[in-house]
Amino acid sequence: MAGFEATFSGRQAPALATTYEGGDPALLQRLVQLVDLIEIAPDTIVSSERGQYILRPEVLDEYASMVPKVGLIAHGIGLSIGSFDHWNHDYLRLLDELFARFDLKWHSEHLACTVVAGESIGTMFSMPRTQEALDLVCKRVDLIQKLYPIPFLLEHVIQLLPDAPAEYTPAGFLNAITSRTGCGLVLDAYNLECDAHNQGLDIAAFLDELDLTPVVEMHLAGGVEFEGFQLDVHSGLTRETTLTLARDIVKRAPNLRAVTFEFLKEAVGLLGHDAICGELARIQQTVLRQAVLQ
Amino acid sequence: MTPLELQQRGLLDLIKCRGTPPNDPYLQRVEGSRELAMMRKIAVWWRTFQIESQCRLTSRLLKRLGCFEALVADYFNKNVTSPFIEELSRGFLRSLRLHDDPLVRAVSQLEYAALNAQAGLPEASEILWDRHPDVACLAIENGGELPAPEPDCLYRVRFSGQQPFTLTCTCESTVLASGPGVPSR
Repeated sequence: MAGFEATFSGRQAPALATTYEGGDPALLQRLVQLVDLIEIAPDTIVSSERGQYILRPEVLDEYASMVPKVGLIAHGIGLSIGSFDHWNHDYLRLLDELFARFDLKWHSEHLACTVVAGESIGTMFSMPRTQEALDLVCKRVDLIQKLYPIPFLLEHVIQLLPDAPAEYTPAGFLNAITSRTGCGLVLDAYNLECDAHNQGLDIAAFLDELDLTPVVEMHLAGGVEFEGFQLDVHSGLTRETTLTLARDIVKRAPNLRAVTFEFLKEAVGLLGHDAICGELARIQQTVLRQAVLQ
Repeated sequence: MTPLELQQRGLLDLIKCRGTPPNDPYLQRVEGSRELAMMRKIAVWWRTFQIESQCRLTSRLLKRLGCFEALVADYFNKNVTSPFIEELSRGFLRSLRLHDDPLVRAVSQLEYAALNAQAGLPEASEILWDRHPDVACLAIENGGELPAPEPDCLYRVRFSGQQPFTLTCTCESTVLASGPGVPSR
């Protein structure tokens, strides 16, 4: 089993990471100069060939061209680890393909449900924080850790719908998963801000309660406020408040290994290459540098 | 049914506008919430965005006709949609094969055949056009004026469905075929 503790123990300067979904060699050339890790979202580089879903070979070749200059990590969207019936086997086939081609540092997935009874819901449902959901998720985390010999991390997603009746607090639920399975966590600073805005989450209390030892990766992103909701659409630059929160997390998470700036491929045209690269430099300077100085 | 299954199935029905939830206080609270309305918007917005990127001509035509978003929402609500963009797009295009507007039918089935060919799926097809396909597609692409139907012509576009994929187009006159006692198109 590839628990996070076997691989990550003790404080060291986190790496800088970002997303790249292929098809933009000019951007890639600049990213490689700035980051240590590239995050691959397998679901976003899929094409179908004769009825089978495969990872687009031309994008895989782009990733291959970056190694070993940068390391690779995977971050899934569609595993649907929290579906009541079964997870998405198609996603695992994509992961198998990725593992067959690359040595990844770790892989991660959202603590969520994206498929119900075989039907895609088009978005993500967060998990109800109940014993039943906890047992189901832990069983699947155990299985995925047996299937793939590298650390597996879970990321909390934003809670958009009204909170369901719960037996655990938000932090308590994550603590229960990590303590039972030994998996790591992706802590998304912007998601916490969305939950604070939309659901009144007390971020300080959440972080006080959360066991930060399993936090291996932190996500940073920018989104939009729309009709009174803060949405995690990864379409913008990071807000100053998010960076402040990120600095606090960097100080407190002893096994943090990467800080990842996430942006959608679709937002590249809007943001521009200069702004994306400028943002990475800003994160390097204002968040990661602090970790080095500790 | 376990509580988790009940909740996830209930939320799926709610997000897909499939009626009121069973007698569950939580689902009933969600049903009337502004949060659910926002989640529906997000789900449909993503599908709209994805379909637009894959089905360029069809989405442009439907937008011009003012029904694109409504058709995507309707497709999302009434069908088991794929999380994979290409399958989602093919499903949406397939759903338009019986659309009332012959131009929507023709354009969507042309793109459907093109996506199948791109994915290496062998499916022969024949698409009937009531106006010149090239002229119509160019007008959709450029935002120009759509050509009017040509009552005397029937354009027959055929996809081979076998590699190498080929596309042929023939134009048939319907004037002779529509004489007394002979039904026209």
